[in-house]
Amino acid sequence: MSDFISTYGFLFVSMILGAMLGLSLYLPLMAGQLSLASPGFYALGGYIAAILSTKVFPVTEAFPISFLLLEMLIAGIACGLLGVVVGVPALRLRGIYLAIVTIAFVEILRVLALNLDITGGAVGIFGIPQPFQTPIEYLWVVLPLLLVSMIFIYRLEKIRVGRALIAIREDELAADSMGINPTYYKVLAFAIGAILAGVVGAISAHFLNTWNARQGTFDTSIIYLTFVLIGGSRTFLGPVLGGMVFTALPEVLRAVADTPGLPVWLAQFLRDGRLIIFGLLIVIGTIFFPQGLVTPQLLKRRARS
Amino acid sequence: MNLTIFLQSFLNGLSIGSIYAIFALGYTLVFSILGIINFAHGAIFTLGAYFTYVLMGNAFGFNGLLANLALPIRLPFAFALIFGSAIAGLVGVFIERVAFRPLRRRKADSLLTVVSSLGVAVVIVNLIQYLVGAEIYTFPPDTYGNLPPAINFGSEANPIPIRSVQVVIFVVSGVILSLLTYLINATKYGKAMRAVAEDPTTASLLGIDPDRFIVLTFFVSGFLGGLAGTLVGSSVSIAGPYFGIGFGLKGLAVIVLGGLGSIPGAVVGGLTIGLVEAFVPGDYSAYKDAVAFGILFIMLMVRPQGLLGRSLVQKV
Repeated sequence: MSDFISTYGFLFVSMILGAMLGLSLYLPLMAGQLSLASPGFYALGGYIAAILSTKVFPVTEAFPISFLLLEMLIAGIACGLLGVVVGVPALRLRGIYLAIVTIAFVEILRVLALNLDITGGAVGIFGIPQPFQTPIEYLWVVLPLLLVSMIFIYRLEKIRVGRALIAIREDELAADSMGINPTYYKVLAFAIGAILAGVVGAISAHFLNTWNARQGTFDTSIIYLTFVLIGGSRTFLGPVLGGMVFTALPEVLRAVADTPGLPVWLAQFLRDGRLIIFGLLIVIGTIFFPQGLVTPQLLKRRARS
Repeated sequence: MNLTIFLQSFLNGLSIGSIYAIFALGYTLVFSILGIINFAHGAIFTLGAYFTYVLMGNAFGFNGLLANLALPIRLPFAFALIFGSAIAGLVGVFIERVAFRPLRRRKADSLLTVVSSLGVAVVIVNLIQYLVGAEIYTFPPDTYGNLPPAINFGSEANPIPIRSVQVVIFVVSGVILSLLTYLINATKYGKAMRAVAEDPTTASLLGIDPDRFIVLTFFVSGFLGGLAGTLVGSSVSIAGPYFGIGFGLKGLAVIVLGGLGSIPGAVVGGLTIGLVEAFVPGDYSAYKDAVAFGILFIMLMVRPQGLLGRSLVQKV
């Protein structure tokens, strides 16, 4: 058992981080807004934690968990504020325009991270201190955080705010004419998503030990989008499951590739062609499962039987 | 800034700008007919460069499934460019079949189609990496035949050298832009394409099969993407499988600046962004890539319909 945990500890924590990143993209999508900005906030949160822990809090012995929590708080506040600043003008746009402007946002942040001194340029920031001895212990932070975010979003869907978001998703003009202020609610959902992405970034920086400009790119946007769209974009369980499954997928494929008796070319494809399979799943998923694998209907049917 | 340097920057901007324009026209054609941005366009750009590279008889590197492979044929640049771009166009048609048509049949939300085209881009980029590795491919120096590296358009005492690569780019883009203008404005095909773009239902009542012209549009769009990829790849280098993705994102800035779906807008937007980038001072050249996105960001805030686009009407 302890062997199993030490082998897969890193994977478990990554899966939970993936689930939360899926949720951060799901939040604006609750209001029907396709935003690809999450990797930008994720990268920013990570840089905040990396800079604070290596330059501002000089700790010689073990890095205290309270500092990690403080960094998460700062990263969350900073990303939330930036989310509002970017969100207010950006969310006047809809559909494809919003997707494009969020791509531009992520790219601008990436170029800045590559060129500023404080972010360590192309090399990035190394040797971010570890608050825990082994990767699996990060579960103490990420598991409660995931549960809190899930409960938060579950509750959000039931109260006035959530219903307003769904009304905007179904028909923004109709929602507007019913007295719902679309911009307010869209910015709210966007900013909460930004906070979540920033907090996850702060944890990931410690978890991964290094942080650089490759953490927030267009590719990662597509991967997070896969979490949500294949997992399911109509219930918060979709992105959670999608994030976990897709984060684990490379490991699963590697395990499958090692099964004896497979032709060599197939084994090699499973090992190295992970992203090809990812892309194919995106295409197949959007065509055959436009609402994702976990749909509200599916959940209702389960509850009844 | 003296005149020679100014002129050189101006020509650099104009040549990269005309490649942006050709590339962005591919986006624009598809957008004007379907109202959807084909995110796989950047991947087609990359493919076009690789196709031309292979058709000229150049060998692949040491990595990937197709390591060290070379075709037994050696086409001259002009033919390789045309055939390579045409194959890229066929890839465009194939993408339409697998990623666009099934969703269009179901009248799915256009954002879903955006996502499936993103999926195609992921597949293509990683397939390239799987097949030929991630290394940089450089076209051999005699790619354009035996041209001197630069041609002097000034006098002996006051030289105005123009790199011959740029001359090639200007000639190719001039020819392509005129052909495209002719195709769209003066032929029956172009008229039908515009009719489908305006209203597919009415067009089909008038005896135009929208699907046929959507296929044609994807072919032309893929051709333009592949051509742009070849021009960048042959004049600089093919910087690995991902090289089209960054270019593809910049192409988004171009079409948004010009106005989504506007053909003259794509040209104006491409030249503008090319020129602005060329005049970024040397000290800030690391930020050059952010300039296009900065322009995009501001443009979307101030005037989302772009310089030459139609204003957005919200329909109930």
